[in-house]
Amino acid sequence: MSLVKINIGPVHPSTHGLLRLVVTLDGDTIVNVEPHVGFLHRGVEKLAENRMYMQIPPFIEKCDYVAKMAMDEAYVATVEAAMGIEPNERAQYERVILLELQRIASHLLWLGAMLNDLGHFFSVFMWTFADRDKVLKLLEEATGQRMFYVNMRLGGLRQEFPKDFEYHALDVLTYLEKRINEYESFIENSSLFKERMYKVGVLSRDDAINLGVSGPVLRASGVNFDVRKDKPYYVYKKLNFKPIVLYNGDNFSRYKVRILEIKESIRLIREAFKQMPDGNATGMPIKLINPAPKNKVVRVSREGPRGEIMFYLVADEQRPYRLAMRTPAFINLAALNHIARGNKFANLFPIIGSLDLVMADVDK
Amino acid sequence: MLINELIEIIEYFIVMLITAFAFAYFFGWLERKFVGKFQRRHGPTYLGKFGLLQNLADFFKLLTKEQVWPKKADKLLFLVSVFLIAGFTLYLVMLLPIYNFYIINSSIILLLIFIILSFLPILIALNGYSSSNKFAMISAQRSILLLISFEIPLFLVLIAIGYYVHSYSIVSIVNAQSNLWFLFIMPIGFFVFLMALLAEMERTPFDLREADSELIAGWLTDTGAPYYMLALFVDYIRSFFGAAIISLLFLGGWYGPFGNSFIWLFIKTIFVALFIMFIRAIAIRMRIDRILYFGWIVLLALSIINLYLVYLGY
Repeated sequence: MSLVKINIGPVHPSTHGLLRLVVTLDGDTIVNVEPHVGFLHRGVEKLAENRMYMQIPPFIEKCDYVAKMAMDEAYVATVEAAMGIEPNERAQYERVILLELQRIASHLLWLGAMLNDLGHFFSVFMWTFADRDKVLKLLEEATGQRMFYVNMRLGGLRQEFPKDFEYHALDVLTYLEKRINEYESFIENSSLFKERMYKVGVLSRDDAINLGVSGPVLRASGVNFDVRKDKPYYVYKKLNFKPIVLYNGDNFSRYKVRILEIKESIRLIREAFKQMPDGNATGMPIKLINPAPKNKVVRVSREGPRGEIMFYLVADEQRPYRLAMRTPAFINLAALNHIARGNKFANLFPIIGSLDLVMADVDK
Repeated sequence: MLINELIEIIEYFIVMLITAFAFAYFFGWLERKFVGKFQRRHGPTYLGKFGLLQNLADFFKLLTKEQVWPKKADKLLFLVSVFLIAGFTLYLVMLLPIYNFYIINSSIILLLIFIILSFLPILIALNGYSSSNKFAMISAQRSILLLISFEIPLFLVLIAIGYYVHSYSIVSIVNAQSNLWFLFIMPIGFFVFLMALLAEMERTPFDLREADSELIAGWLTDTGAPYYMLALFVDYIRSFFGAAIISLLFLGGWYGPFGNSFIWLFIKTIFVALFIMFIRAIAIRMRIDRILYFGWIVLLALSIINLYLVYLGY
């Protein structure tokens, strides 16, 4: 049979933004998938060169509009490293709590979108969306903004947690724990789900390492690498957690890693609240920051919900001389062709879903 | 004499047309509301009481849209197939009896209905082919695949029913259920029939023809708004037909407590429709290569077992 080329996207219900794929099909089998990216490119790295350090976070946050806090924090941590500032312990705990809340929100959204890619008619999507909103409410309470927080300041946060934030957060966590168990039993008891997830889109351990994927995609392939554990930052050393690692490398493992990560994050937040010391976590006001040392080169990496976020900064006094980002979704997208080749056409979309792509993150 | 019969036929057509249209409209509204409730949201609320006029507004909105023809589209084939689909679907509804109100009571009426029903996927395939869109083309192939996977089990169930009743007339089939529904006499057959009809009606988990996360809108991808509206409407009418035929063949039709009446048929039809919506709200789409396995191994085996059990029991 002759090969057929199909152009999917950039406007398509399940390309998670603006992703264009040129898929070569042999009958119903995928021969090649060629991602074309760049529809959402805004040149954030270049924009950063013309702005003061703390004017940049609003741009950075829009790179990954699902896990804003993770991007924001990674960037601010890079600037802190360039200036040699270390946030105090309470600020570190608060940042960890916010980051883990953001991870939960991101994974919840992913869960709904994944089920949609499998052909579910928005039910789980709406449920997880509502639950995610509870987490966003918490983040709003803590930061004042629902979506784009711009909450990180050098040496701390823009503002201290409100008084009864801890109680609200623990309430929501209890609720979420119950809901996650419900989702798990609802989704995994479905034989159709198993059929479409088990042993579909397998990424072997070696391939995962060679392709440079990170985050849940990497850990689902049996590589025990989590930046929080391997290059610990903040108070992750003091918190007792272990990275979730599964060994099949298929769609189901990637799904399961994220579900277990939500549970682990819930545990982490509870522990962090227990350990959190008193003090003041407020960071420097934007106007008062010192100039950074000239030509200082720093590289900071963080474990975002999608994988390893890395910032490379060549500092100038008032603004970055050069800012380069390693966004996780871009690298994970590179593995798509490798995973999808040889699969059926209908499996392509669950595979894209399981990689958890955010196209703004890919295109920067 | 002839005039009277003609008037009767026209009367019946008008009543059935109104019923089908009303049900299609109601089905569209109910689905939005019911699935919405299932997903912890409200569904349409703005237009009319409980958003009852929302579908009407959508209808007019789609009518005002521009009709764009793709360059390579086969216009004639497209138009012929889309109107044939609509016509045949309406014709199917016309053949259904409502209590003592029917147009034809032939002993082969059920076979006629299902022969027309199995003709629809071919028309849909033609329609998908005519728009020369690759997604529509894949959808057309899938349509044929669904046809060959589900048609044989479906007809085997019909044969079992015909064997039990000694007739393919729907009226006699319903009358044979006056004591016990066929749902209890042949539960396996009911399962097979339900699955096959879900596939015919493009409902999850077999909505492969218009799998929206894969094929955008399947065979309707390049269809312009007015024809899309027509197809959508036909889709609802087909759902009405499916729900009605299930309640006629397996749920005792118009038989019920407190006297036999067409109201029972309506209640049962609505319940079946709700059940179909419920499946839509919770199920995941089946993968295309599993459909063949499911059709040819699972459903075929089950339908043969069903036939054999009916043969033994009779």
